[in-house]
Amino acid sequence: MNFKKEYLDIAQLAVERARKAGAGGAAVAAEAYVTDTESIQVNVSARAVEQMSAVKEAGIGVRVLRDGRLAFGSTNDLSKKAVGDMVDGLVKKVVYHTDDEFNVIPGAAEGGLAADRLGYEDLGSYDERIAAVPVQDKIQTALRMEAAGLEYSPKIAGSMMAVYQDGTSYTYIANTNGVSGWFRQSGVGAGVEYTAADGDTRESGSYQNGYVKWADFNAEEIGRKAAENAVSLLGAKPVPSAEMPMVIAPDIAIQLWSFIAGMLSADEVQKGRSLFAEKIGTEIAAKGFTLVDDGRLKGGTSTAPVDGEGVATQTTPLIVDGVLKTYLYDCYCAKKGQTKSTGNRSRGGYGSAGGVGTTNLYLKPGDSAPEAIMAGIDRGFCLTVVLGLFAAIDSASGDFSIPSAGFMIEKGKKTVPVRGVTVGGNLFEMLKAVDKVGSDLTWFQSLGSPTVAVSHIKIGGSGK
Amino acid sequence: MSPKKPITRRSFLGQSAAGLTSVAFSSALMEMLLSSTGCKSGPGAAAADIIIADDILAKAVSLLMGKGADFGDVYVERAAFDSVMSDDRKINTTTTIEKGVGFRAVKGGRTFYAYTDSFEPARLYETARYVADAAAAPTAASAPGVITLTPLASPLAFPMKPLPSEIAVSLKIDMFKALTDRAWSADPRIVQAIQFMREIIRQVNIATSDGKIARQTLGLTEIMAQTFVKGADGQLQAAFDQRGAYAGRDFFTGENSFEKVIDGSVAKALRLLEAVDSPRGVFPVVLAAGENGVLFHESCGHGMEADLVFKGSNYKDQIGKQTAAKGVTLVDDGTMESFPGSYSFDDEGTPSERTVLVEDGIQRNYLCDKIWGEKLGLKSTGNGRRQSFRYPPIPRMRNTYIEKGAVPAADIVAATKRGIYIADVGGGGQVDVITGNFMMGVGSASLIENGKITRPVKGATISGMGIEAMKSIDIVGDDLKLFPSAGRCGKMQSAPVGFGMPTIRVRNILVGGKGEAWTDIEGGSK
Repeated sequence: MNFKKEYLDIAQLAVERARKAGAGGAAVAAEAYVTDTESIQVNVSARAVEQMSAVKEAGIGVRVLRDGRLAFGSTNDLSKKAVGDMVDGLVKKVVYHTDDEFNVIPGAAEGGLAADRLGYEDLGSYDERIAAVPVQDKIQTALRMEAAGLEYSPKIAGSMMAVYQDGTSYTYIANTNGVSGWFRQSGVGAGVEYTAADGDTRESGSYQNGYVKWADFNAEEIGRKAAENAVSLLGAKPVPSAEMPMVIAPDIAIQLWSFIAGMLSADEVQKGRSLFAEKIGTEIAAKGFTLVDDGRLKGGTSTAPVDGEGVATQTTPLIVDGVLKTYLYDCYCAKKGQTKSTGNRSRGGYGSAGGVGTTNLYLKPGDSAPEAIMAGIDRGFCLTVVLGLFAAIDSASGDFSIPSAGFMIEKGKKTVPVRGVTVGGNLFEMLKAVDKVGSDLTWFQSLGSPTVAVSHIKIGGSGK
Repeated sequence: MSPKKPITRRSFLGQSAAGLTSVAFSSALMEMLLSSTGCKSGPGAAAADIIIADDILAKAVSLLMGKGADFGDVYVERAAFDSVMSDDRKINTTTTIEKGVGFRAVKGGRTFYAYTDSFEPARLYETARYVADAAAAPTAASAPGVITLTPLASPLAFPMKPLPSEIAVSLKIDMFKALTDRAWSADPRIVQAIQFMREIIRQVNIATSDGKIARQTLGLTEIMAQTFVKGADGQLQAAFDQRGAYAGRDFFTGENSFEKVIDGSVAKALRLLEAVDSPRGVFPVVLAAGENGVLFHESCGHGMEADLVFKGSNYKDQIGKQTAAKGVTLVDDGTMESFPGSYSFDDEGTPSERTVLVEDGIQRNYLCDKIWGEKLGLKSTGNGRRQSFRYPPIPRMRNTYIEKGAVPAADIVAATKRGIYIADVGGGGQVDVITGNFMMGVGSASLIENGKITRPVKGATISGMGIEAMKSIDIVGDDLKLFPSAGRCGKMQSAPVGFGMPTIRVRNILVGGKGEAWTDIEGGSK
């Protein structure tokens, strides 16, 4: 896959077209965002290929701003005619939209970046090998992943889903306020879910992860970890309801941090939908709890030189030692909040105008080894599986009751597997109850966390 | 990546905010799509629905099959998405236009897939050859045969009245101004409100290797409202309501009007301000008729999808066995006029049908597409669906509902001494199809005390095993209600689905909540 000058040209043509279409009336500002992607997906089952898809696709999304009114449109037809017609339509209908003084197409004053001919700065978010590795090798990799789990234990009965996926993308951006440039990203990842069976008991276990570089990707390890998760839960039973300390595994913890980061979006705060409103400078979590969003993290799967509107990315500490420092901003929210964008305009691709979102989000590791955290607990619960976590947390109140599975901790050691219990409490109370942060920062694509422990949580169960 | 299907409480909002697609109010393609199609005039096989000429598609299918594939299809699609959203009193629209052609070749049960965004014959033939090569058996040396295509007819039609293009953009915006005012003025405790409407026109041509061509155009309208309220004590609550149908705005009247959707989201949010924490434990739950059918979509339906059955879901080898209580019949119907999971043909050209999955408690069938149905020795039930030309089809649900029973609905709560009454699960959920474990967040519910609905509760979740929950149903009401939902099912790909059920009681189910622990609750008299 290569840089294609024609895509930078069509982006520039689109914004020029918008400017010209507005001639005679109020000035039109515009932004065009083109993505060009290539990817391979391989599904395997029972040691054979079940499905292979090869994808090449490109498209353009355009935002048009006139008189404080903003309109968005997108298409995957990159012919000059199709793009021109769409832009003309946007310029025509934008007059009906609600005027909003905070609408903005960023220029240099808002942090917008113009790149030279060679594109934006390379932050190590691209590996040419991912597109170059032959499809046959990728298929073999997917087969090895599934096989590694199937061979992990005789108790593994089969896989429910085993997927390999990679992608390489080039992003081109241009606007009428001087932003212009391109960058490239790549990623490779896999996920697998197994059934474990022992007599009449059955359990499931899954694992997935993704990386920027081909060399970092270890398919067999993904298969083995998923199988281990399934086998280790065999024989899980409910326990009686009780309040106890809880240890949270990194792959569950990241989901909690991601949920919290959603509520730290300045857009949610400004629109009165977040309970973190008016909490800047206050203690919202335990000391030792430091949550960071880093758009420039070396090797991060969401690392990019600029965000979805061409503003330079940055490292943003959100919560430092329990104290809330800032929200996440794009240019719209920054203008409204009379501050600067944190480079967090996030777009799902050319087809989405996007909104505020995280880049690489992680909880800063502490100094306790995970075994030491466990060793300090006489009787507790180790949370390793949640079902419907985002549905189980009420974002308006922070209350949750999450169907879960995991292990009992007795006298400092993981003992019997547990299933059929709910973990109940309140997210805000739980943040303050975090009493240990592990040293084992673990990344799952763009989310990272070490093992953490909370001093007390309600476990609800029907066990005797 | 996982077969688990999380839906967040705010999935509708998420969809609209992150993937705002829409308006081709004035786009040439939308006008063209609408001017001459089955959407306007009748059966989906109308000649007006031709996107690419039959001779070109016939050649593409011939090339696709030229290296010995067992079967294959070419899926041509063009689509326009228009949306209007009022968020924070600001009204905006978006437009998306998409087109593409997907090529699938299946050899020895393996699927090979690629797509192109071009309708140029040369690009089509090139992509067809690429997929044919990928699927080729090492020994295959068969000469390409010539396939000719015969159009399929369907008795089903999905007219869209009025067509989105028949309403000027300024009128749509005016309508949204009135809706915005209605939402914000409903109560002084409202702190934020969102209203959203999306109109989608999808036109598809599916040419299959057995010489058939299916053509249809579907016009989908979805409406949603979300309301945030703040109580005197500072607590913030949110609720949403939604409807969706393969129909135009004329469908959305009475119970399905946009005004009702807004009022519904306001009323649900305000009730939460008065609510007590849900009790927890194992006890009876009465589910109201209608959209609560999503519970059975989630907890049972996914486990009955042929691909997951074949790979060992908890419904594997259950045909002829009891998987629900006697008196429980579960149906998946793709032929209901206007309902969001209906269509003339599925996305591999199989005519849609009404499929009885569970009959009086006994498992009768699974949800089959061509490939996975064949692997199970069953014929396709017309459940092969895809999100777009970007994806190969997989088994998916359509409109899934529990049939009505005989007990007057009003008697069910009266027969329950203690438990909770769920007006609307609506909270999203997830299922693990291997163990059958599921969970659903509960949006709107109340306590049942001595046979009466009393205080509203908040923060409840229900969870358990799908088959056990179905076997635990001990009363089925006589008030079947089908719900035209804007819900999207997300099994790797997004698809519109509908739900329904009568009022029922599940005698024992695990309820999670922050409130009192209830133990040793009687299931209630029958």
